[in-house]
Amino acid sequence: MIQVENLRKEFKKTIKEPGLKGSFKSLFKPKTERVVAVDDISFEVPKGEILGFIGPNGAGKSTVIKMLTGILTPTSGRCTINGKNPTVNRKSYVKEIGVVFGQRTQLWWDLPLRETYGVLKEIYEVDEKSYRERMAFLNETLDLESFISSPVRTLSLGQRMRADIAASLLHSPKVLFLDEPTIGLDVVVKDNIRRAIEQINRQEQTTVILTTHDLADIELLADRIVMIDKGKNVFDGSVGELKTRYGQMRELNFVTDSTDPESALSYREHFSLDSEDVSVKREGSSVKVRFNSEAVAVSDILAYTLATVRVNDISVKDADIEEIIRRLYKQGVD
Amino acid sequence: MKRAFRIYFPFINAGMQETATYRVNWIFYILGSVLGCFVSYFIWHAVFLSGEGETMNGFTLPQMIVYIFLIFLTSTMIGSDAAWAVGEEVRDGSIAMRLIKPVSYNATFLFQELGNKLLTEMFLVVPLIAGLEIVRTILVGSLQFSVVNLLIYLCSCVLAYLINFFFNICFGFIAFVIKYLWGANMMKNCIVGFLSGAIIPLSFLPETLGRIFMILPFASLNYTPVMIYMGVYQGAELLYFLGLQVFWALFFWGLSKLLWVISVKRLSVQGG
Amino acid sequence: MKQIKRLFRIHRIFVAQELKRMMEYKGDFIVGVIGFLMVQCSNLLFLWIIFNNIPSLMGWSLNEVVFIYGFSLIPKGIDHLFFDNLWAIGHFTVRKGDFDKYLTRPVNTLVHVMFEKLQIDALGELVMGIALVCVSLPQLSIEWSVLKVLLGIAAILFATFIFTGIKTITAAVAFWSKRSGNIIYMVYMFNDFAKYPVTIYNEFVKNLITYVIPFAFTAYYPALYLLTGENPLYNVGMTVLLSAALMSLGVFVWNRGIRAYESAGS
Repeated sequence: MIQVENLRKEFKKTIKEPGLKGSFKSLFKPKTERVVAVDDISFEVPKGEILGFIGPNGAGKSTVIKMLTGILTPTSGRCTINGKNPTVNRKSYVKEIGVVFGQRTQLWWDLPLRETYGVLKEIYEVDEKSYRERMAFLNETLDLESFISSPVRTLSLGQRMRADIAASLLHSPKVLFLDEPTIGLDVVVKDNIRRAIEQINRQEQTTVILTTHDLADIELLADRIVMIDKGKNVFDGSVGELKTRYGQMRELNFVTDSTDPESALSYREHFSLDSEDVSVKREGSSVKVRFNSEAVAVSDILAYTLATVRVNDISVKDADIEEIIRRLYKQGVD
Repeated sequence: MKRAFRIYFPFINAGMQETATYRVNWIFYILGSVLGCFVSYFIWHAVFLSGEGETMNGFTLPQMIVYIFLIFLTSTMIGSDAAWAVGEEVRDGSIAMRLIKPVSYNATFLFQELGNKLLTEMFLVVPLIAGLEIVRTILVGSLQFSVVNLLIYLCSCVLAYLINFFFNICFGFIAFVIKYLWGANMMKNCIVGFLSGAIIPLSFLPETLGRIFMILPFASLNYTPVMIYMGVYQGAELLYFLGLQVFWALFFWGLSKLLWVISVKRLSVQGG
Repeated sequence: MKQIKRLFRIHRIFVAQELKRMMEYKGDFIVGVIGFLMVQCSNLLFLWIIFNNIPSLMGWSLNEVVFIYGFSLIPKGIDHLFFDNLWAIGHFTVRKGDFDKYLTRPVNTLVHVMFEKLQIDALGELVMGIALVCVSLPQLSIEWSVLKVLLGIAAILFATFIFTGIKTITAAVAFWSKRSGNIIYMVYMFNDFAKYPVTIYNEFVKNLITYVIPFAFTAYYPALYLLTGENPLYNVGMTVLLSAALMSLGVFVWNRGIRAYESAGS
């Protein structure tokens, strides 16, 4: 479906020295330098997949997305969807895709929402019959009925996002790009949006490329993850793979009635572990122990805990993806 | 005073940096605006060629040239975006935020704009005045430049800027009534342009009309400083017009305070 | 043909949207139109006061000057009314990254930008221009023929695209420099020269507005043809030629600019 080959993008950047003196200097002689925002990125996305596209701030995420949506022209390399290339024929390319930028809207701000769909119908040359069917479907999935007659400027953020997603899907695109679709939304609304995305993906086999800072979006939606950092591709695989590769950290949770479990349990001395391989946190009677399952076996740590303190309730779970990715962003990937 | 300077200096600084950042943009803006002067110049040139006699309503051609370019220089020196800034605040409701801010909003804006101007005027005043005086010397045959007049002119410009600033603050409150600021601003600029002599010297108007316009605050904005530079106002007359400027500056300062009080009442009635 | 039909359809849709929007903000549009009307009135007042002091302006009567002035406002007003959105490109659309939207739509970006907004304020200029031409015409002894009327209309049409072409070229500069609003403004200000008979200028300015930034062909030259019937091949023909040339250059620069567009943010 989507093929990205050796994508690269360079920008020219003006350097301004700080302070008033710097301002004066750049007034007469601005200095520029070349910045490589995206450096040789390649990946493929099969039809019907939801791809989570992640990376820390400034990693080059948006630059890649903007090249994939035909907004930026790559310095070199190419991307194709269904064999179509945005730099060769932008117009036929963008008919294949739908784009939602969470922080911007493509709706007509001053007019009732319905009007936006009327205009987009013409822009994308959707015929009357398909338009009616499409609106019925979008209405059902995204629940637009209650606010479709209100001016866009009066919509809440959640309503606006639903309306924007509907707008991007009006022409039945094969690929949907969602950039921060849940930004600034409350938990319930986030949930609604996620469910709608999932439904559209399932029913129509729409390929979805999702970038987000909310890793719960990734955990709940993404079949696969591509992670980039400093413009380079650093991970490409399923959520499960990410966990097995970087997720040796486990979490042991238990409830105890002993008064001072921390001093009774000395994991570090007992297993002779480094400080980054184990940490203990207590909240009232419940204790949370994070440990590296490669440095110490799960069975050993369980046995030691049960033998040392009186335990009421105990469980071991995988570290969640959010934890893994947070660690990766912080340390960088080797 | 020293404390006030310490508080507001960062705003002057910020204003200067802002201008420096958009340098190229600013240069084009000035170039575009100067073009208008040249259009006026050629029209007046043609007018003097077509008319009889050397002077017209008290102006010779060299004086008219000085007038055209000085009006332009004065306009850029006293120009203020305060109406715009206040209008935006009124429109989006953020004017209510002023109630909880420890520094005076008007003052911060004033100083930021001054910072802006300090940098722009440095690049404008010297070359423009110098160029103008060279041309005038060539045309007239002798040097007409007076340092005293220039200094009084600059003082008069500061007063004119203050009048314009507070007038614009007052005008910004119109956003409570007219929502379309751009249109309202255009109307204002057009009327002020005419009444202040920026489009045609006030002495070209019918006498009674001209005399009324002279007392209105708008003549204090443009016409008065330019007349001072040209040495038309001397002695008692000079003091009278400077006094009038001071009066209008105080008047609009007071009016802006009053309008603020009224809008605070209005805000509290509406609940923000 | 199908393409052209589609363009008209899209234009109609956008205009309809703009009219609906206008209905939501009636007051604004009235303020805007009156504002522009007032600007023109103050310029007229200027002319009128000047002519109170002189019999003619280097041989041009008040009526002739008013006719040229009025004529200049018509193509300017049409361009302003229909294609004003190009200003926004230079001022903030590109800088804020809002240009992204146009690139994700299956419509030519320049067409989309040009058609999207209707600047009703321009009616102030347009109405004034038509009024001035209508008022000054009966006072001028012009011999009319069918050809003259047709050439007059053609001149207005092509003159409009001289404005649009120049605006497109200067707006497109923003793709490289992030903002070009004041470049548009500066170049646009040259059209102030073209509102008056070109003979009042010196050779330098005359050549500048005839050959470099050819605003003189949006008003003075075609108006001269209508007034005197002289030299239609140059006075109107050049308007057509320059209009086509500037619009082509505009499209070329625009397309190059899109490739250099950097959007906003990281």
